[in-house]
Amino acid sequence: MASEELTVSGPGLEMDTMFINMGPQHPSTHGVLRLGLTISGEVINKAVPDIGYLHRGTEKLMETRSYQQCVVLTDRWDYCSAMPNNLVFCLAAEKLMAVQAPPRAQALRVVMCELNRIASHLIFLGTYGIDIGALTPFLYAFREREMILDLYEMLCGARLTYNYIRIGGVAADLGEDWVAKCREFLEYFKPRIDEYDTLLSFNPIFLARTQGVGVIPRESAVAWGLSGPNLRGSGVDYDARKSEPYCGYEAYDFDVPLGQTGSCWDRYFCRVQEMRQSVRIVEAALAKLAPGEVMAKGVPKIIKPPAGEAYAHVEASRGDLGIYLAADGGAAPYRLHVRAPSFLNLAILQEMLVGRKVADVIAVMGSLDIVLGEAVR
Amino acid sequence: MALTKEEVTAKLLARIPKAAAAAVPVRDYPTVRLAAASDLLPAARLLKDEMGFTYLEMVTAVDWLGPTSLAGFVSSRNPNPFTDQPALPPLAPAAVAGANYRPVFDLLWAFGNIPERLKVFLRLEVPRQDAEVPSLTGLYPAADWQEREAFDLLGVRFTGHPNLAKILTPDFLVGHPLRKDYEHQPDLYDGK
Amino acid sequence: MSRDLGSSRLWPTEVWARPWSLPRYRAGAMWLGGIAAGIVVIGAGVGELYLWGDRLLGLLGRCGLGAAWVAWIWVLVKLGCVLGVIVANGLWAVWWERKISAHIQSRFGPMYAGGFHGWAQTIFDTIKLLFKEDVTPAAADQPMHALAPIVAIAPCVMAFAPILFGTELAAARLDMGVLYIFAFAGISVIGVVMAGWASGNKYSLLGGLRAAAQIVSYELPRGFSVVPVLMFAGSLDLAVIDRAQAGYWLGFIPRWFVFYPVVGQVSFLFFLIASVAETNRTPFDIPEAESELVAGFHTEFSGMKWSMFFLTEYGYVLLSSFLLAAFFLGGGAAPLPFLNFVPSWIWMTGKAMFMMFVFMWFRWTFPRLRVDQLMDFNWKFLLPWSFANIGLAGVMLWWMLR
Repeated sequence: MASEELTVSGPGLEMDTMFINMGPQHPSTHGVLRLGLTISGEVINKAVPDIGYLHRGTEKLMETRSYQQCVVLTDRWDYCSAMPNNLVFCLAAEKLMAVQAPPRAQALRVVMCELNRIASHLIFLGTYGIDIGALTPFLYAFREREMILDLYEMLCGARLTYNYIRIGGVAADLGEDWVAKCREFLEYFKPRIDEYDTLLSFNPIFLARTQGVGVIPRESAVAWGLSGPNLRGSGVDYDARKSEPYCGYEAYDFDVPLGQTGSCWDRYFCRVQEMRQSVRIVEAALAKLAPGEVMAKGVPKIIKPPAGEAYAHVEASRGDLGIYLAADGGAAPYRLHVRAPSFLNLAILQEMLVGRKVADVIAVMGSLDIVLGEAVR
Repeated sequence: MALTKEEVTAKLLARIPKAAAAAVPVRDYPTVRLAAASDLLPAARLLKDEMGFTYLEMVTAVDWLGPTSLAGFVSSRNPNPFTDQPALPPLAPAAVAGANYRPVFDLLWAFGNIPERLKVFLRLEVPRQDAEVPSLTGLYPAADWQEREAFDLLGVRFTGHPNLAKILTPDFLVGHPLRKDYEHQPDLYDGK
Repeated sequence: MSRDLGSSRLWPTEVWARPWSLPRYRAGAMWLGGIAAGIVVIGAGVGELYLWGDRLLGLLGRCGLGAAWVAWIWVLVKLGCVLGVIVANGLWAVWWERKISAHIQSRFGPMYAGGFHGWAQTIFDTIKLLFKEDVTPAAADQPMHALAPIVAIAPCVMAFAPILFGTELAAARLDMGVLYIFAFAGISVIGVVMAGWASGNKYSLLGGLRAAAQIVSYELPRGFSVVPVLMFAGSLDLAVIDRAQAGYWLGFIPRWFVFYPVVGQVSFLFFLIASVAETNRTPFDIPEAESELVAGFHTEFSGMKWSMFFLTEYGYVLLSSFLLAAFFLGGGAAPLPFLNFVPSWIWMTGKAMFMMFVFMWFRWTFPRLRVDQLMDFNWKFLLPWSFANIGLAGVMLWWMLR
């Protein structure tokens, strides 16, 4: 059933524009974001996202910390998936120092990042369901996420901010039963994704709320610098794991799900499919784990990379996370810039929401899957 | 025709006057240094229209003045009750001998070509005083917020930007925090 | 650096590997037990009272009061019973909803208040609400602000008058019972709009207007889907409708209206969907979960005023459950002939509780419809098809009476 739009105009029927503030605290919270909407009736005339509530000045803080201390700060960008944050910083520093992590460490890095991708997409699934009104998948998603967080706790003692991937390798090796528990989780998890499909993905009400809503055309997505499932939902095949492989990703066999129309549903379903692919990658990486070192030899205690500049980027859960690192030979990074995917994903709201209905704002904003910690650093 | 890194660099160097391959390249990526701010828009148009670099990945700037001044950090009360020393940052950055400190902003743009899987960096040095650079928002909407961030944190003005306003720092903050000589002015959150 | 998880941390794989934990985690025992509990809590008061009804009447007569006094006191007693049912429902349905939602969502729900599965949770919540400060915004229209909850709940209580709690068990025997119920159920909209208006808050006003639009729109398919039932029963009297569903085809298939081919099922489904929309429950809960953008119409009400709105919502859910049971599920009739020894009020309340479980099940399973999709669904789908349903019922009736 499509709804038609009737335009009624005439003297005395003009609507005044009303300014509504969404946030900085609102129930469908994705962080502390303020969205200033100017609406006339149901239609949005202007949308101004106002960020900066979570700005902690990481880039400046890192200029006064040693490289190992910086790794701790990286966790706090995208706190829903902290492993890729650690990883990208370590890759940039390793590029400067011309150090390569040993194969076991690389496989472990892949396992942790992909598990984190699953955990992060589970949060997205749950919170997007709540935004649309389905209150139950959230609890199911978090039940699975608890298992992943338990795995991380067994590994490094932390559930959210891991500080596990270090320059030159990873912090510590696995315990004896970690691989068995991880495999147990994967076996348990595979039918759960099908459960989410029956509960949410193909539910007619969900489809009516998300298909055809918030369509981002291909050129627009590329021009606005989107990345991750937002870009792939519009049909652009760009995945940092495939275009510039790192940590041995070229050896793993996985697909990159692409959407067709760029609607909210396409972006949502890309993430669900990515969870399936991540399971494949984790299984392959666990099979590849051979005994060996987890930290490269010759990484000094006081890390002073030679002067130079490096850019490293990974496919984090939210998109293409990049780090530009400029070193002057000192003990602290001279300049660090974070190319945060959520920052750019959020900017497109200025253009995308104009002309849409107010009731769609939540669906559209939720489908972009932003985390303000990363957007604002 | 599959583009290669060398072809990209060669075409840029040929078409943009006085552009040169950067002395300190970004590791493993082709980096081209522009000579003047007026070269930026032609170079960007060349990359976008003729070489297919439609994806603007990053816009940033580096302040090469010297080590970060510690006056830029909020020296709050030390939570350690056994000392009355203020809480300082863990590392006081020191000047490294032989480093090339100069009073410039070194701007950096990263362009991506998605089908060809290529990336190229453009650099431009502008003096720190009244740094002005053309804005790329007309060609790439992705530059919008990134240029605002560079303006907010470093003070680089982008001419032609539709809305060059603060984006990350609070409204009461005066100055550009990421500058190396930034000094923090006490404000209402300093508990004085 | 790796550590073992404590033995207190159980994975779902370990929990579900134990056979006895599966039914405990899923909703099975909860809904069976809940239906039984509901029957006890809601139906018992009324159901058992009727046994004493005659004795009570006789007692009143022997007190020496005049016949008019006896009649008035008898009406008050029946009113007390109905109010008791509504209040008990408000207390109990909330607990049950929390338990059902919890078990659907793989968690436990209230476990602490009162001991066994937190049965006293809502009682304590009510006490807390009674003690809450009654905050009225300065910009609000004070008398309307006080009146709105009353206008919302009074029609709900009054609509319960002809409701059958079993065979021949109604507070008032009205020969136009169905019309009366639908009429009073519609008056609550005024309370909702008053609440939105009197809040002095443009967002509440918008929420209240949307709620009103939704409620008024969905009354049409609700009424029209009941018309086939009225045609088959031949009367607006709930007792007559109840009696028309007694008896069995082929000795064991009950003559409930839901079993009538096509017409019965369609009417049942449409009435169920329209009732869910009427009571502002998910998937039609735009007015309540309007907290996405606009706060709901009852935001500026706190304490007892808010609990009036709350009671209204659960009262209407109970009303719709009883109506569904009475119209379509046979009322007080037993599903199989040899189960007739079970009192009819147990069957009636049991069916109503089952329908209430369905209401709650919907809430925690389906996402929300957008406002315009909601209206589309009503005007472009439910209404035309309910007309078609009436036509089909007419054809069936003609064929049956040939």
